[in-house]
Amino acid sequence: MATTLDLHCHSEASDDSRAPVEAYLKWIALHRKERPLDGIVLTEHRQFNAAADYRTLEDKYGLLILNASEAETDYGHMLVFGVNRDIMRRFDFKNIRLPAQELIDGVAELGGAVVPCHPGRPTVGLCEYYAHAPALSNVVAVERFNGGSRRGEEERAAALIEQYRYRATGGSDSHLVSLIGLCATRFESNVRTSEELVAELKGGNFTAVDFRPTRQPVPRAGAAE
Amino acid sequence: MAHFNYDPAVIGRVFEDTEPVVVETQQIRDYCAALGEDDPIYTDQEAARLGPFDTLTAPPSYVLILRTGKDFLGHIPRLANNMMDAGRDLDLLEPVRAGDRLRLVSQIKEIYEKTGRSGPMAFVIVRSTVLNQNQQVVAHIDHHFIQRNR
Repeated sequence: MATTLDLHCHSEASDDSRAPVEAYLKWIALHRKERPLDGIVLTEHRQFNAAADYRTLEDKYGLLILNASEAETDYGHMLVFGVNRDIMRRFDFKNIRLPAQELIDGVAELGGAVVPCHPGRPTVGLCEYYAHAPALSNVVAVERFNGGSRRGEEERAAALIEQYRYRATGGSDSHLVSLIGLCATRFESNVRTSEELVAELKGGNFTAVDFRPTRQPVPRAGAAE
Repeated sequence: MAHFNYDPAVIGRVFEDTEPVVVETQQIRDYCAALGEDDPIYTDQEAARLGPFDTLTAPPSYVLILRTGKDFLGHIPRLANNMMDAGRDLDLLEPVRAGDRLRLVSQIKEIYEKTGRSGPMAFVIVRSTVLNQNQQVVAHIDHHFIQRNR
């Protein structure tokens, strides 16, 4: 059974989001046709809440909720999946200059997986760093579709993925309820836990999916019908 | 901090304790009129007596009109050459009743750094605690300020 997860979203636990987790689930339940998600992965900025327990909400809405983190590194922002006690002990997520290569290798060694996100974004994306620093090793995937991308960012991400033959994920990067699930990742297996998610990311049997509606061009005022 | 430097001793230091101001019934009514709030528990003494607090109370956001001191902004550590208001979080703990005497006690709650599209930014969070005449904490107002070099 395949599993489609929004791998990148922020709840009110992040300093720049006001979206309650339950509101995300309600929105998904209302928009399942357009955004057929099986669950979400909360990637709060510079933190990991090991005590968070969403089982009641999972049961209520029939959706999977996993916890991860969005870390800041010397190569931009990166999603850290499968965070556990050992990873938290080794890396201080509050540090906004975490050494990226050390994070990728250390997290992998301790049972997690790191995915650089919005690589085409200025200042916080991988592309900018690759322009003047060596490419990172052992990258399991990078985020191809990001719901918060501006013009040009996804084209740069696509070019990077093609050049380095990276695998691609998708996530909404939602900070607002209505943006949840705009982009996601489809895994060919049944993913139910963070450990399974990490195994699938390392295994590579997934594709980035884009549920954003195609915008119709607005006709110019006075244009002929 | 990687990009911004400040004295960690500023965290938690109270820099302001304003003179108490009395919450007047007419002020509550004026505030409600400005907002278009017509719930009688805020505007009608008799209706309020039958409500949960037995007396006229102010709408929750009323505490946001309380004035900080003149030097409030001057106490915010300057970490970059550009600072902007990034909004306020309000945590309400007690009702504001007509006749209450409210004061604000302000301190630097937190300073942290993050990177965004435009580069590194420092966030300074100033907490103003609203206290009433009984020293009860009525609300916490967290003012968020973003600073960056441009």
